[in-house]
Amino acid sequence: MNTPVRLGIVFVGALVIQLTVFVDVRIFGVAPELLALVAVVAAFFVGPERGPVIAFVAGLLWDVYLPTPLGVSAVIFAVVAYVVATLNEGLFHDTRAQLVGVVAVGSAASVIGYALLGAIVGEGGLISADLIVIALVVGAFNAVLAPIAAPIMAWALAAEVDRR
Amino acid sequence: MALTQRSIGKSRHRMILLVLTAITLLSLDLSSFGPLGTAQRLVRDLLHPITEVAGAIVSPFSDAWNAVFDYDDLEAQNRLLTERIQQLEGNELAVEAERAEFERLRAATGVDVRPDLARVTATVVRGGVGNFDDDVITIDRGSQDGVRAGMAVVTNAGLVGRVERVDATTSAVLLLTDTDLIVGVRLADTDEVGLGHVDPDDVSIFIVDTGLEWPEDGNESLLPALDTVVVTAATSRYPAEIPLGRIVEILPGDEDMLTMHVRVALANDITDLGFVSVLLAEGVDQVPLDEPVPSTSIPLTTTTSAGEGS
Repeated sequence: MNTPVRLGIVFVGALVIQLTVFVDVRIFGVAPELLALVAVVAAFFVGPERGPVIAFVAGLLWDVYLPTPLGVSAVIFAVVAYVVATLNEGLFHDTRAQLVGVVAVGSAASVIGYALLGAIVGEGGLISADLIVIALVVGAFNAVLAPIAAPIMAWALAAEVDRR
Repeated sequence: MALTQRSIGKSRHRMILLVLTAITLLSLDLSSFGPLGTAQRLVRDLLHPITEVAGAIVSPFSDAWNAVFDYDDLEAQNRLLTERIQQLEGNELAVEAERAEFERLRAATGVDVRPDLARVTATVVRGGVGNFDDDVITIDRGSQDGVRAGMAVVTNAGLVGRVERVDATTSAVLLLTDTDLIVGVRLADTDEVGLGHVDPDDVSIFIVDTGLEWPEDGNESLLPALDTVVVTAATSRYPAEIPLGRIVEILPGDEDMLTMHVRVALANDITDLGFVSVLLAEGVDQVPLDEPVPSTSIPLTTTTSAGEGS
């Protein structure tokens, strides 16, 4: 199985879990953002060249189900993935603790970025006092799920990681 | 591993391309470019069977989660429902007796609830999928069942929302709790029409804050009575006069007592829906020009006399 097929399976799996499990399973009314998690972990593994492209596709799939126009999540995920991958390449060594930290910050940033860009394109009600709480809970939730997502993404991106 | 200048340049170029692609998609989607909407519908329709099966598999887990973390809420709801059933059983005979009175009042107020309108009953499949769409639910009826965007979604108690997006077998419904959803309404008591939305601070209250005028001479006896039924206006985008709720408070809309704000207690509990009906008829998008539309502007005569006085 080649990388695009594996990634497709992971994206659809994450989306289906998001649409079924995390409609009900929430903490403080907030669900994790699995597609953002996938995007950040992908960027962590494959770097700033391919990471943003994978993140963009993940965001595009998520946009299909969101009330905001197509492309909002996609561009935000891509930008976050680019920043995450660039900082990760330049500053750190790869460790599990680092992955959890990067996922927490990257996921929270993607939530805030989505709300800001969504508001700019005219979607009302995205920016409120709850935004910080949502971003923090999503960051924490995704960080907890990162150790589960990492081996799955490592499987999906095996060929890409080897290439690097 | 440090990045080489070449790879930095390459990744920047890719980022620029991705941003430009996103801007193009955003522009096309915002201008309702047909093929883009069709492609999104196709993706949702393709994935629907998978999500349906997965939903059935994980539902025991979700139920268990709700049972553990929302047990108090469930218990309270159960108690309320039991009380409600007892109350409804007790009311059954009274309702029969009051049916004739209701018909008489309906004729007197001119509320056209049109029970003959074709409708399709739907189950709420899920609530909002993300963290910012609490006001959207997905129902298990779509274009194959005759559902179209813009149709009214109701329960027996009244209006719930409007169909926002239609796929082949499911539809997304924008609930009244979205404070951006503006609804044209009519006060059954006085026949005045106005525009309103749900109170952002209390989603059980609907505020009519546009189009209603305070009685000219300040005569409060001309105000609509509390408890007056409020329905969607027949000239709104809804196909019939659908009950919204009852007036609980009437306030002046401004210091000069020119306009009026009306607070309405919604008849529906929109935060907890299991089943809804879609009215299979479309309303009008625009109020016809020959219909009288109330204005909040100061009448010309008043302006003139004020000008003369100054």
